[in-house]
Amino acid sequence: MRWCLSVFLFCLAVVNALSSSGNRLLVVLEDGSEKDLYSTFWSDLEARGYDLIFESPKSDKLSLFDLGEKAYDHLLILPPRSKGFGPALSPKNIVDFINQDGNVLLALSGKSTTPSAISSLLLELDLHLSTDRSSVVLDHFNYDTLSASEKHDVLLLQRPGQLRPDTKDFFGGEGVLALPRTAPHTLGDTALLAPILRAPVTAYSYNPKEDLSAGEEVSATGSQLALVSAMQSRSSSRFTLLGSAESFQDKWFSATVKAPGSGKETGTANQEFAKQLTAWTFKETGVLKVGKIEHHLAQDDLSLEDLNPTIYRIKNETVFSIEISEYSDDKYVPFEVPANDALQLEFSMLSPFQRLQLQPSARTENSTIYSTQFTVPDQHGIFSFRVNYKRPFLTNIEEKHEVTVRHFAHDEYPRSWKISGGWVWIAGLWSVIGGFLAFVFVWLYSEPASGKTKKTQ
Amino acid sequence: MQLWHSVLQLSLLASAAIPTAAAAAWGFTDATVSVSTKGAGVGSGLKESIPDNKALSAPVAFGPADTLKVSLTAQEGRSGKRAHQVFLLLQDPETGLDISYPFNVKDNGKSRLDLTQKDLPIRFLSVSEPLDARLLIGSFGDSVAYDGAAFQLAVTHNPDEPVPTAEASSRYGKLPEIHHIFKADAQSPPVVISLVFVALVLAALPVLGGLWLFLGANVNHLPAALKSAPVPHAVFLGSLLSIEGIFFLYYTSWNLFQILPAVAVASTVAFISGSRALGEVQGRRLAGLR
Repeated sequence: MRWCLSVFLFCLAVVNALSSSGNRLLVVLEDGSEKDLYSTFWSDLEARGYDLIFESPKSDKLSLFDLGEKAYDHLLILPPRSKGFGPALSPKNIVDFINQDGNVLLALSGKSTTPSAISSLLLELDLHLSTDRSSVVLDHFNYDTLSASEKHDVLLLQRPGQLRPDTKDFFGGEGVLALPRTAPHTLGDTALLAPILRAPVTAYSYNPKEDLSAGEEVSATGSQLALVSAMQSRSSSRFTLLGSAESFQDKWFSATVKAPGSGKETGTANQEFAKQLTAWTFKETGVLKVGKIEHHLAQDDLSLEDLNPTIYRIKNETVFSIEISEYSDDKYVPFEVPANDALQLEFSMLSPFQRLQLQPSARTENSTIYSTQFTVPDQHGIFSFRVNYKRPFLTNIEEKHEVTVRHFAHDEYPRSWKISGGWVWIAGLWSVIGGFLAFVFVWLYSEPASGKTKKTQ
Repeated sequence: MQLWHSVLQLSLLASAAIPTAAAAAWGFTDATVSVSTKGAGVGSGLKESIPDNKALSAPVAFGPADTLKVSLTAQEGRSGKRAHQVFLLLQDPETGLDISYPFNVKDNGKSRLDLTQKDLPIRFLSVSEPLDARLLIGSFGDSVAYDGAAFQLAVTHNPDEPVPTAEASSRYGKLPEIHHIFKADAQSPPVVISLVFVALVLAALPVLGGLWLFLGANVNHLPAALKSAPVPHAVFLGSLLSIEGIFFLYYTSWNLFQILPAVAVASTVAFISGSRALGEVQGRRLAGLR
């Protein structure tokens, strides 16, 4: 009975949880009255199966961990009113939370100064805020003429496209994003960071509290300013920095905006972008799972014992295959490698001897099987099949399967008579044997040729 | 995204070119660009004036010891005014990489900017095409901001010094394929040559036989030997032949554990029968026949 109940509960949980990594979402919100400003955003998240738990950073019982384990799966931090968050949300705790596979969406706002605790958390992730921590992005070319005709601090941007030609596009689509009062940041030079939304080239950052004194050093301008960025750790937990928390408010989900110059008033795509951004951050999209990994000799009839042998011989023809699924919204689907990208297999001992592209060879209902065939290098030793697939916005795949590669055994070389250069030596050997036999015969039965002359002497 | 931006900029440009009646447009006047080389006398170097709200046609050369000076007066409508954003935007047309330099702006709109190659990002020093330099002039309020090409900046180098290049940053992505290069297989000489030498080696046997015959080798004692001791001679020769046969089998298919007992048997037989056969040969020698 209890067994049935637990199965039922498990199914219920699976149905409810849209994310591939749990549905407990802690929302850190200092001001309870601000909660209503985001009501559409909350109901969107709840409709997708998240358990929203609202806490004030000041609350005593707020802790990201329970008995050393993370108490929530995901964390959403809205910009605080006061100088900073309490001890429960110290940079160290948040980094620990990320290290325990927790996902974090951190929203900033250009309205207030960002707390120094947040700034030092971002520094740990190599994301840099301006030194005064209270800058706003201005753009006199791409602003909303309806709501910010004077201040030009509501940016109107097209939805972001692909980051690079070889990445998956998780944030694209039609429509215009309105980003009011955005706190910009710059990215450090690391492979773990990826910008989702950059500022236009004509944008610049400006601290409204002080006048931009002419000729002042500007640290970053134009597209070096990132507005929304993502960090994916080596353990595939995700951290997203959103420059404008305001853009997720109900007001901007349904706002009508108008760019300067163009006469058309359009609605914003903020709601759709908020869904894409939270779906990615909370691991509803771009999550890869490795299924079966098989390697064997390239031969037609394979029995179970022939799969995944621990030893290969040099120059063996070998087939390697890996099954990969991608979690998309609420289920696993066959993973397709983006165009211009490649899933690569490395056969390596210290350094790769072969690095080959894996091609899709079969497809199941929820996975794609990628495989390749290659010749084992003519070098014996301990090798490993490695699939190291790390790409922006996709969770990391790092597979390593060790095998021994041995030499030819003494009876696996071609026989000497098959080597035409050896025929001379073989002929020499057998002619010596023939000569020996003939000599024995002659020695046994020959009459001395000089017998008569001897007698006469 | 870049494409969209450029489309947007173009549309903005188009809209900036036709000032609407409702809002004044930002622009500039009295714009000059000059390049002076450090150490060169006054009056040397290039000095060009940029036509109002238009671009220079010829690219401006910008060497490592040069100082680029751009000065202009920002205008809202027809009157000089301080703009919040007076930027020189440099953009690499190939990669789309951009950087802006703010002008030093006075209240009457007079703005100036000094730039040396040290101020440029390292990636801009190694570009092949001239950089696009644009002027961005904009401020708060309704006035339409100005974004227009000003000139092209050709970054030149001292040919004696290496061009500084930026280290490629590491990004996750596909890596170049590696195909193992196998050692070449062992080669045999042409079969014809092998066959010639095989023939030479095998020809040694008939040569040997011929020499023996020339020296008087014969088998005249065979009937006598077979008559006096037929069994030991037959068995001795047979056992010698079978030992060689066993070695042939070892060469083709047998292993050591198969040939060892066989050779033991054959050699025992050869030893016993050989001593009898050689006894017979000794008898012939004692009889004076050999």
